[in-house]
Amino acid sequence: MLRNVITKLSQPARSLIQQNISRGAAASLARGYSSKAHETDEEFDRRYEAYFNRPDIDGWEIRKGINDLCGHDLVPEPQIISAALRACRRVNDYALAVRVVEAMKNKCGNKEKEIYPWLLQEIRPTLDELGINTPEELGYDKPELWLEDVHDIH
Amino acid sequence: MAGTVLRASTRQLLVQRSHLLAPVTGYHARAKVGNRDIVGFGLNGEPTYVDRGDFPCPAVRFMENTADVYSMREKEKTSWIGLSMDDKKALYRASFCQTFAEMHAQGTGEWKSLTAGTIFGITLALWIVILVKLYVYEKPPHTLSDEWKAASLKRIIDQQQGRIEGLSSNWDYEKKEWK
Repeated sequence: MLRNVITKLSQPARSLIQQNISRGAAASLARGYSSKAHETDEEFDRRYEAYFNRPDIDGWEIRKGINDLCGHDLVPEPQIISAALRACRRVNDYALAVRVVEAMKNKCGNKEKEIYPWLLQEIRPTLDELGINTPEELGYDKPELWLEDVHDIH
Repeated sequence: MAGTVLRASTRQLLVQRSHLLAPVTGYHARAKVGNRDIVGFGLNGEPTYVDRGDFPCPAVRFMENTADVYSMREKEKTSWIGLSMDDKKALYRASFCQTFAEMHAQGTGEWKSLTAGTIFGITLALWIVILVKLYVYEKPPHTLSDEWKAASLKRIIDQQQGRIEGLSSNWDYEKKEWK
């Protein structure tokens, strides 16, 4: 009786193990042991580009997308940034477009000197086509206005 | 068939209900928003404005909508290539309070006044030490004078204190000098 119960319980586990082995061979990303579904880098890029390329996207969704994108530990691919800039054009929001470029510059972190010039070069066609200025051209790479920090208590 | 219809209607009811709840949750934030556009999710869904490097797009525009802003928005709808630099900057400042450069450049130069204050405090303390030594302390005891110390050392050597490993072991008794 107990033996039957144990064999019955182990059967689904055995089939799961077999499934996992076959799935592991097919997955291209580094092996992790979490139960969350993994997506590859290309899938990630395609997902975000498709999100920003939606013709009926509105300002709320662009901002949410940008905030979420900045939450990931990566510098987004130029295609995603171009798609976001074109989305800004569709909703007629120039300030948002400049903010996107600034945010991507910020995402470069301490490798800004290596990554940011390349990034600008890649999205330059989109910038020229839509007439968006980079923060440097607007003079926003240096501080323009002064605001007292709320944490200055003196 | 009937089950799906029932489920759809309850879902609609729940959606309507949540619309009733939504204003209550953001009540105080909404009251302060005024004429500003609520444009995004922001940090947490509340219509607040925060300049943060990791949340580049806040939930509300920075400036309220006035007649100038409306006319700028009309210009924005046409091609951006024709906009002047001033227009572009004005559009940016209407939506955002600080640029990223301003956000990250919060140097006040306070370190200079702090360093100066620290050095001044140390100087003050050292002055107190000097003045206390000059005016407060009495003369040191006579046993600390050089003659007394020399006589004391002579006594130690004469008594052969520490003859093997201590002080007198360094004194050459034949030549009457230090080894």
